[in-house]
Amino acid sequence: MTDYSGKIVLVTGARRGVGRLITEHVLKQGAQVIGFSKHLDEGEKSEQYRAIEVDVGDADSVAKGFEQVRKQFGRVDIVINNAAVLTSQYAMIMPAAAVKAMLDVNILGTFLVSREAAKLMRKNKWGRIINIGSMAASLEPIGDSVYAASKAAISTLANVMAKEYASLNITCNTLGITGIATDMLSQLPKDKIDSVIASLPLPRYATPDDIFNVIDFFGSERSGYITGQTVFLGGVN
Amino acid sequence: MNELAAQVQEAIEQALRALNEERGPEEQIEIHAQTCLFGEASVLDSLSLVSVIVDLETSLSDMFDRAISLTDDRAMSRDPVPFTDVGALKAYILELLA
Repeated sequence: MTDYSGKIVLVTGARRGVGRLITEHVLKQGAQVIGFSKHLDEGEKSEQYRAIEVDVGDADSVAKGFEQVRKQFGRVDIVINNAAVLTSQYAMIMPAAAVKAMLDVNILGTFLVSREAAKLMRKNKWGRIINIGSMAASLEPIGDSVYAASKAAISTLANVMAKEYASLNITCNTLGITGIATDMLSQLPKDKIDSVIASLPLPRYATPDDIFNVIDFFGSERSGYITGQTVFLGGVN
Repeated sequence: MNELAAQVQEAIEQALRALNEERGPEEQIEIHAQTCLFGEASVLDSLSLVSVIVDLETSLSDMFDRAISLTDDRAMSRDPVPFTDVGALKAYILELLA
């Protein structure tokens, strides 16, 4: 396990699903966690957790969120771009509004949060930006044209930012997760997901620990020479 | 120079001094109104310019207690961009604050 003591970790989409799992994990490992969510929880998880209401797809909202982070904490060390929207539908009947919502949160949101985080990280010349990608970017499943494209895009975003931020000692990497039981996955037909999972080289659903393992790796002090990489779970490539 | 203009001038110079602190003795930037920040004659490489702009946005936002963006659509669509040199940058910031 990576020790996150003394680290300030910002997680987007922290309230539910994979974001919540990651938030609880890094909290247990000693991090100060800032959770960006579109809607706030009624109660905060602990003294080490600060929830901030941010719509990551809105530039002004992200700027205001980071302004609070800067004034309250002065820095951020690790950012986990997890917030995402998924609408699965055949392209011919996919509403434009659903497309825009996915692009705004999944791509623009990842870009805006990474951009603002890098502005803070550059002062300390240390940072880790970790994007939560998806097996969909590689497997390109029917019905997920926009979602898959958005997840491929954030991997490319990380690769380019890895070059731009290299001199600032900020690494940017992507974790491509497979299926894990979350609210998002429950929106999709179970037989469709089961069939995709069965076709993987490692044909099982991901566990939270599978995800934590790679997050810990990308986030660790020792991974300063690891950047611009995408690691898929389950043997996807 | 009025007080506001003096504050803005000082903020710009402070951002450039912060950059100088990270540079070697032979790379020091001379700071004056004509110091060229952008374009072929610029004394800054692109990443250094980004660093100065980000420092300046942060200090101006703190100083005036409002978000100041020097690289939004309004700024980037100008020809020439408003940070060609120190004087032009100062004039643009004063315009934003007006």
